[in-house]
Amino acid sequence: MWARLWSEARYRARAVFRREALERELDEELRFHLEQEAARHRAAGLPAAEAMRQARLAFGGLEVVKEQTRDGRGVRWLERAGQDLRYAVRALRRTPGFTVAVIATLGLGVGINAAMFGIVDRLLFRAPPLLRDPARVHRVYLQWHNRNGLATGAMMGYASYLDFRRATTQFDALAGYSVRSLPVGSGPASAELPVGVISATLFDFFDAAPVLGRFFTAAEDTVPLGAQVAVLSHGFWQARYGGRPDALGQVLRVGTAAYTIIGVAPRGFEGISDEGPPALFIPITAYAGVFRAGPNVANYYTRYNWSWMQLVVRRKPGVTRAAAEADLSRAQRQSYEAQRAISPGMTAPEIARPAALAGPVQAERGPNQSTVTRVATWVSGVALIVLLIACANVANLMLARAVRRRREIAVRLALGVSRGRLFGQLLTESLLLAGAGAVVGLLLARTGGALLRALFLPANVAAGTLADPRTAAFVLAVAALAGGLTGLAPLLQARRTDLVEALKSGARDGGYRRSRLRTGLLALQAALSVVLLVGAALFVQSLRNVRALRLGYDVDPVVYIYPEQRGARLADAEAAALRLRLLESARAVPGVESAALGLTVPFWDTWNDNLFVAGIDSVERLGSFTIQAGSPEFFATLGTRILRGRGFTAEDRAGAPLVAVVSQAMAGTLWPGREALGECFRIGADTVPCTTVVGIAEDIHQNSVTTDRGLSYYLPIAQFHPEAAVIFARGRGHGREVRELLRQTLQPEMPGEGYVNVTPLRDIVDPELRSWQLGATMFVALGGLALVLAAVGLYGVMAYDVAQRAHELGVRMALGARAPDVVRMVVGDGMRIAVAGVAVGSLIALWSGRWLAPLLFEQSPADPVVFGVVAGVLLLVATMASAIPALRATRVSPTVALRTE
Amino acid sequence: MSDDRLELPQGTLDLLILKALSLGAQHGWAISERLHQVSRATLQVPQGSLYPALHRLERRGWIAAHWDASDNNRRAKYYELTRDGRRQLKVEAAEWRRLTVAVDLVLGMG
Repeated sequence: MWARLWSEARYRARAVFRREALERELDEELRFHLEQEAARHRAAGLPAAEAMRQARLAFGGLEVVKEQTRDGRGVRWLERAGQDLRYAVRALRRTPGFTVAVIATLGLGVGINAAMFGIVDRLLFRAPPLLRDPARVHRVYLQWHNRNGLATGAMMGYASYLDFRRATTQFDALAGYSVRSLPVGSGPASAELPVGVISATLFDFFDAAPVLGRFFTAAEDTVPLGAQVAVLSHGFWQARYGGRPDALGQVLRVGTAAYTIIGVAPRGFEGISDEGPPALFIPITAYAGVFRAGPNVANYYTRYNWSWMQLVVRRKPGVTRAAAEADLSRAQRQSYEAQRAISPGMTAPEIARPAALAGPVQAERGPNQSTVTRVATWVSGVALIVLLIACANVANLMLARAVRRRREIAVRLALGVSRGRLFGQLLTESLLLAGAGAVVGLLLARTGGALLRALFLPANVAAGTLADPRTAAFVLAVAALAGGLTGLAPLLQARRTDLVEALKSGARDGGYRRSRLRTGLLALQAALSVVLLVGAALFVQSLRNVRALRLGYDVDPVVYIYPEQRGARLADAEAAALRLRLLESARAVPGVESAALGLTVPFWDTWNDNLFVAGIDSVERLGSFTIQAGSPEFFATLGTRILRGRGFTAEDRAGAPLVAVVSQAMAGTLWPGREALGECFRIGADTVPCTTVVGIAEDIHQNSVTTDRGLSYYLPIAQFHPEAAVIFARGRGHGREVRELLRQTLQPEMPGEGYVNVTPLRDIVDPELRSWQLGATMFVALGGLALVLAAVGLYGVMAYDVAQRAHELGVRMALGARAPDVVRMVVGDGMRIAVAGVAVGSLIALWSGRWLAPLLFEQSPADPVVFGVVAGVLLLVATMASAIPALRATRVSPTVALRTE
Repeated sequence: MSDDRLELPQGTLDLLILKALSLGAQHGWAISERLHQVSRATLQVPQGSLYPALHRLERRGWIAAHWDASDNNRRAKYYELTRDGRRQLKVEAAEWRRLTVAVDLVLGMG
């Protein structure tokens, strides 16, 4: 069996690579036979010439025998493919314009898809590198019911992790983790870097062994304070320590504490991180223990009010996902009871119905998928549509070419080339073009892809590039599909070629008619362009709406200043005094209009506490009320308007009567139908003194641009955690203009190794608008591309039609048709196609609108203005695309047109 | 050309070639001569059709080819059976006998 396969392989290899030698041998072998035969006849007395004739007669057709022998070699198909390829290359080189147009069009289509695939693959499909058995690994999500229905979140406290570890039985590994941005190193070499704060058990999830030293163990990851040890990522070890082994044992400052380096993770290991690879990893209890140092250190593993980490679990083999979720939910119900024992104000479990989900390890496939990912998914769909349009364009070009080659094909058929062979040649041509398109596409994806990745993915996240086998496989598939699709059209055409007709008719063919297939392709292109343009317009409108939305504070002029303390912890009084000094310095900076103290910054953090209001059972059930605190200039600096009552004054100092400003939404929620001014509520416990409402402020968006209910209240910072204050400054121009000056002025004020972080509010808000920004950018870019492709396609076909009909148009003109009549005729033809496309496209856009709606902002997906404008644009472009060739046709004098053959 | 010559049944040419070669290495013309003589000129093997079959058998590894000097000292391509070829000859010959016996039985009926 094997010997036979080997013999076949050797024989065939020889047949392919030593074809010339084989042919010579065959010649010689057959000649020998004929001469032997002739010799026999000569011996019988025949003259030489007659002897040879008899020999040939007995042998049969020499060429036929040779052909049959070659068939016997079993490599005919390969030889044919080679011939087809050579033929295709020759044919394509004869028409460089066509070839370049096709390759460029396909390259664009393939390139965009390759780039988007790399992104979506990374966001949705790829498990963290080195993760063992990703199908068994789950990210745990907590679920509970509140006023707004079911809420789902992955964030939890370390106490919840301990509860799950104690109460679950279906998992062989559990690990808590978080990625924190912390200052790493000291002196000028220090930088803010992502640090993986992880349970020692997280290492067990991976097929990873340290390249140097060791990983930390469960014994070093214990409450209340884990060992101060660090494992470096491979990249950080290379960059900071030059890959030297003496990094082991060195001490590295991370945040406010010092850690000893005990190991280096292998290349590619990044734990579980949604924000790119961490620079190093420290025990989760070391981080939390240091962060919560002091008398309250036990809080982080006994209380539940600090939700800052996530949980991954690995099912035991044989445990189903449903069983795993039941196990998790049971544990979560127990944990909820434990929480209620600490905070009795929490909603009853019958109402909250706490549960837990085992989601995929990829965050973006979980229940809380980001809008960016959803937009990315849409954009990849759009990229596929662009590819379809490109394919339609190329198919049309190929058809036009096939029509031009009708006679050539007919002649070849007449000469006896089999149709199968002809199809093979046509298909080879389109596959060759698609292959070239794929190469161009990959090059485009490489350059343009970096741009797209920067738009969609967090920094430092590696995504599909040329070297990535998954992307390469995808591109290959796309190219094959494109080649097949575009090759199909001419095949259909060739199948119907009527030999006699084609041979009879010359170029002077009056009866030219465009095939229905080509008209359909044009209409399809127009329709798909309409769909994309509608999408683009909807996203642009959404972006405009969201930009115009008032957040309840000014964004552009405001900067956020956070004093980062390091080293020795300041006493509260010192910390508060430091902040007042910083505030004074900020005020003195030229270009700063005003400055104020605050407590939190929108979108980055929130502060909550239990609220108690006379006459209301459980305030928590009404919603989540966030606390902001500020100095007297706070409202003027942020630009938040006081609607009634007053803001804060210097009189609202510590020890003075407790006062608060509440948002309009909060006033309406707690005291519906009543004037809230003068009402009072208690913060933290129902035994503390009452805080009186002295002002009503406009609602602000603290956590979300889209769904914020604006339930927030303000306290004078002097009365509420002045030691934790942050600083806001309002510039005369854009906040970015005063940023650097503020940093330089405030930096020297910081004690020890501390420093100030100065961030324009715009840089905090813009990421929240990213999904609309992305949607608008990508849809406009791809929609524009689609429109251009469709226009070029229509123009090309029209120009070709007009050229084909030159004779007919010449006759019409000679018979008295005026130029405008001819133009009207041709343009009318183009418009009919465009109108059909607009109608079909609008229907598709309307139908798919309901899925796009959740990604839009205060924008109906069925906006008649949007549809009207898009239809207008498309018809205008179609008119121009068909008018240009029409006008050119009328400029040809009838006599010339009639004379051309 | 007399009319009492037989057309070769489909697929038997391979068997005949293998049998002809079982007596020793031969070149193409000699094989055709041998078939002609041994069958007492009853089998009509078109000489040309021999070569595609030879090349096919060579590809399958049942026969091997080499160039050698012929009786009249000319370069000729000689074919000989391989080990696989001998085995194949046995198999095909046995099958052929079973077939002819079966056909004889059917023809001998009633």
